[in-house]
Amino acid sequence: MSPGSGTADVNQQARPARYTGERIKRLEDPRLLMGRARFIDDLGVPGMVHAAFVRSPHPHARIVSIDNRAALALDGVVAVVTGADLAAETAEMEVGAMLNGVEATSRPAIAISKVRHVGDPVAVVVARSPYLAEDGRDLVRVEWEPLPPVPDVGTALADGAPLIDEALETNHVAHGKIEIGDPDGQFETAAHVCRKTFKVGRSTGAPVETRGLLAECDAGSGAITLWTSTQMPHLTRTLLAPMLRVPENKLSVHSPEVGGGFGLKCHIFPEDVAVPAVARRIGRPVKWIEDRWENLSGGVHSKEMDCEVEVALDADGKMLAIRGAFVTDGGAYSSIPYTPLIDSGCAAGMLPSMYDVGHVAAQFDAAYTNKASVGAIRGVGWASGQLARETLLDDAARQVGIDPVELRLRNMLSSEPQKNIMGLSLDGGSYAESLAMARDAIGYEEFRRRQDELRAGGRYLGIGFSPFIEPTGMATASARAAGFDIAYFDSATVTVDPDGTATVSTGLHSHGQGHETTLAQVAADALGFAIEDIRVVFGSSDSQSYGMGTYASRSAVVGSGTIMAAAAQVRARLLELAATLLEADARDIDLAHGVAHVKGAPARGVTVAELAGFGYFGYDARPDDVQESGLTATAAYDPPETYANGTTAAVVEVDPALGTVDLQRLVAVEDCGRMLNPFIVDGQVAGAVAQGVGIALLEDLAYGEDGEFLAGSLMHYLYPSTTELPRYDLLHIETPSSASTGGVKGVGEAGTIAAPAAVVNAISDAISPFGVSIDRVPVTPVYLRDLLRGAGR
Amino acid sequence: MSETATAGRRLVELNVNGMSHVGLAEPRTLLSDFLRHDLELTGTHVGCEQGVCGACTVLVDGEPVRSCLTFAVQMEGARIETVEALSADGALHPIQEAFRNTHGLQCGFCTPGFLLTAKALLEENPSPSEAEIREHLSGNVCRCTGYQGIVDAVLEAAANGKDQADEPR
Amino acid sequence: MKPAPFAYYAPETAAEAVSLLQEHAVDGKVIAGGQSLVPMMNMRLARPTALIDVGRVAELAGIAVEGGVAIGAAAKQARVLREDAVAERLPLLVAALRHVGHPANRARGTIGGSIAHADPAAELPAVAIALGAELVAVGPDGTRTIPADEFFLTYYTTALGPDELLVEVRFPDPGGSRAWGFREVARRHGDFAMAGVAVTASCGAGGTVESARVVLFGIADAPQRAAAAEQRMVGASPADPALAAEVAAAATAGVEFASDPYVSAAYREDAVAALVERAVQESAKTMEEA
Repeated sequence: MSPGSGTADVNQQARPARYTGERIKRLEDPRLLMGRARFIDDLGVPGMVHAAFVRSPHPHARIVSIDNRAALALDGVVAVVTGADLAAETAEMEVGAMLNGVEATSRPAIAISKVRHVGDPVAVVVARSPYLAEDGRDLVRVEWEPLPPVPDVGTALADGAPLIDEALETNHVAHGKIEIGDPDGQFETAAHVCRKTFKVGRSTGAPVETRGLLAECDAGSGAITLWTSTQMPHLTRTLLAPMLRVPENKLSVHSPEVGGGFGLKCHIFPEDVAVPAVARRIGRPVKWIEDRWENLSGGVHSKEMDCEVEVALDADGKMLAIRGAFVTDGGAYSSIPYTPLIDSGCAAGMLPSMYDVGHVAAQFDAAYTNKASVGAIRGVGWASGQLARETLLDDAARQVGIDPVELRLRNMLSSEPQKNIMGLSLDGGSYAESLAMARDAIGYEEFRRRQDELRAGGRYLGIGFSPFIEPTGMATASARAAGFDIAYFDSATVTVDPDGTATVSTGLHSHGQGHETTLAQVAADALGFAIEDIRVVFGSSDSQSYGMGTYASRSAVVGSGTIMAAAAQVRARLLELAATLLEADARDIDLAHGVAHVKGAPARGVTVAELAGFGYFGYDARPDDVQESGLTATAAYDPPETYANGTTAAVVEVDPALGTVDLQRLVAVEDCGRMLNPFIVDGQVAGAVAQGVGIALLEDLAYGEDGEFLAGSLMHYLYPSTTELPRYDLLHIETPSSASTGGVKGVGEAGTIAAPAAVVNAISDAISPFGVSIDRVPVTPVYLRDLLRGAGR
Repeated sequence: MSETATAGRRLVELNVNGMSHVGLAEPRTLLSDFLRHDLELTGTHVGCEQGVCGACTVLVDGEPVRSCLTFAVQMEGARIETVEALSADGALHPIQEAFRNTHGLQCGFCTPGFLLTAKALLEENPSPSEAEIREHLSGNVCRCTGYQGIVDAVLEAAANGKDQADEPR
Repeated sequence: MKPAPFAYYAPETAAEAVSLLQEHAVDGKVIAGGQSLVPMMNMRLARPTALIDVGRVAELAGIAVEGGVAIGAAAKQARVLREDAVAERLPLLVAALRHVGHPANRARGTIGGSIAHADPAAELPAVAIALGAELVAVGPDGTRTIPADEFFLTYYTTALGPDELLVEVRFPDPGGSRAWGFREVARRHGDFAMAGVAVTASCGAGGTVESARVVLFGIADAPQRAAAAEQRMVGASPADPALAAEVAAAATAGVEFASDPYVSAAYREDAVAALVERAVQESAKTMEEA
């Protein structure tokens, strides 16, 4: 990747003392705006053929037979490959038990004996063009023996339920419980107890670019090259190599420009195994571009959860205890690598969030059903748990007769670094401050006056608040704090090239986050270079900078930590080079914007080009450590826990007769620690908020009672568009992390976690005169009318 | 005389970005695929092939059209404009500049469709209100930005009023 | 998501199109804007073996405004929206067209295509009924005119024979004192309606309604007139503040609302009541303005 022609803009802007913290325009934009970026479907290699997958139309069925003769007879069809064909050439896709109480599972990439959800692949047709591949796909005759479908968690967990995975002897794939203090005792004696059941619907990332793969296999060495639209090239290699039965050094994973991920593209999918395996089997490069139906029916789903939550309050509205039980509808397979625990497990772990509560009970479960797998989509189960807790608190405020903002303010932890009741090492924030800021920005008191007036005229406006904390910078410490027994490794390499420009490579990736810009800002500051002399590269597992990729709001923290550590080593060598050339002590050298000089003597400077030339070609005049290590350094960073926080507030107007919701205002206060680039922070918040609004009002990967999939097109899986979203007010508080390098926290998921509960609370507030409260998302007009009709309206 | 064709491939000649392009297409070849894979104009992106997402939007005789809902053979004689035309001289078009200034793109996949839809709007209505912009763009989905930057970009481009200056007509 | 193969024909006259249609009556399809057909073909839910593209038939693309408005079946929706003379005579059509998809759909989508496709949730079929349009079809036996009232039979099915081509939509002269209202509810702007209504009324010299049409759509297998609601309007004064609620109450009587996996009949019934009330209020306002 190249920074393109964008550097001119940096020159035009006044050069800041530090780049981090500045609203620097993105370096990656020009090629994207010009239509010159290369996404997966823009790539091709000579001899390439195209794959189409034969998929199950049934939610649950045995495969009796597969007849590929008619497909093979079609001119242009090259091969038809089944699961049985691949079984000899690939290993099963395994997921270990992440915790006690969680089942380890295993599956073939392509179903052999039975299918477990609509869209489950059973064969691959390879042909000269995508059109011919689909023609061939339609000619493959599969004889099915339909099995009773398991369309929901209730069916899955009932005695005698049909088994989704017959090797497990249960559909109950995960169970866990956390109990701290004596919550039951508190509930017995509390002045107020409020309970709520909340059903979160099924949604997903659904990036506008679907997934896609292009694979080829070197006939001599057996080495596989895989281009894939993934968020995590190195981790894909590590996870995929054993499944393909190749050593890691014979699998190259390249991820080109990625058209949005949102978590969908940080998993290992059956096609990731099948496409390279087929390319190896037939000896030709194979390309597969997922279509939208496949993306919706066969990608990962997210957030569907049955939540039961209850809070015990004293007479003053002080939270004494909170209990929650979260059951994820995990779909038909455990997603790789996160498993369905990513939803209910995360919801349980964040149950008390930033509230000061002394007693907690949290239970999490996941069941297999005949739906697509649940994976790690933006906001994961935190968003579902946030919905349950924050709507419960609004119900409690109404029940007890306390203002909902006041109730929350009475129960916030202080903003100082501390361990919370779940053992999370909070690194400082602005919990009450962000709520107060959102309250003031949205004009709370004035709104309440206007609300009363309009209600008298038959108009129903409502306001809702949703304060949150978000675990960010996901790495070993934060994963373990969240209950996942996994480890991470992330590194970056900083190299000063002979002409004094610098190349930064990272195991992170970028699919809209602007890392070519923000990580260049970090590197420029850390090295003391001009930003136009920095190039950030990523997207290939052939890079020596191993990393786990970009997801889970991790890249600002991990990128800063790794790059600053590597850059510090290189900078130290540059200072020594300068000291040598300037005949001074390295401690007395200043290096900024690409020029080094002795402190207090700016007239006599040497440029980094001179330093680099000396560093490469200065032979034995160079300092020893430059002779030994050159001008390159690799550093790893496994960050401590970091938690962003903030508050989202929403104003809606409900049309009770039509059950429609007009979202009129949205205020998002975000505290993600030190901001690398506020321009990009705003973009991340705005986009995440929009997805949160989708979860609240629109998005529903619905299945019928018979397991039929009802959301296979974008006519039925509804994104928010320009007309469903208001203009947002995006506000910031900047509380540096007490823990991470540079005081940085992540920001990617906050809006998606917080916005749904803000919108739902606003709706419940609007319809509170009718004595009902929202208990599910998405809040569709049909649901809202049902609720209001039930209330006699 | 009316044109007839079998299901086989034949030469199709299209006027794209002011130049004549010839390629082989079946009647069923979608304009999106023809532009991308035959003419190698890969700036036009495909997000759903269901006519919903708007990523594949191109201009046909100046109007925004879903290239995934159009067959290449239907477009003979029409004037097609793709994102590649906007910056044909190597510099960003004012609408593209505005998108950059307002952070109106993140992953960039939906962006070409938005740019062309916005261009058509500004040609018809050089100073649209925010509500008009939102209505006009409502058939293009963006999953990254929450649209704020996009709407701001069109407002900025309109305010700069230079959108029609360098038409590659 | 690529269409199955088909043969493609691009006739230049309506007569040629009809003869091609005759030849391919079994599994041929007319394509106009393709905004509904091509998604179905891409998903392979529709697999015509021949497509007859009427996009190059100049005689189908005209718009003639002389008293009434005659719109060629292949006239693009976007073009109709730009015709001031149409907007002046048929403000209801213009109001409804703004709900038909998005600019990119309307740039290709045609008036006749939407009507012949007969999606029960589409706006234009309801508008055609509300405005008392006549649909002109050409078949092997010549030309015939079908009142919009008799055109829409059930889901995606019209009174057109398999070898008949819709060539023109004729909207009668609306006359002087025409009131209209249009309301629909959709999940998002531009989506197909979950329920909708188009109302027209003409008033006599005394300011009372002489005739009215209340057309419901997105409610069952085809758009339909709410006869009881229309009767309630006739003889009433549009300015009567109680009228809208009474028409709304009458509008749902005797209507069989359909349920599908996305929208329940109960919802449609509730929504129609609210939409009719608002559309009648709007029609009173348009009457005042006229």
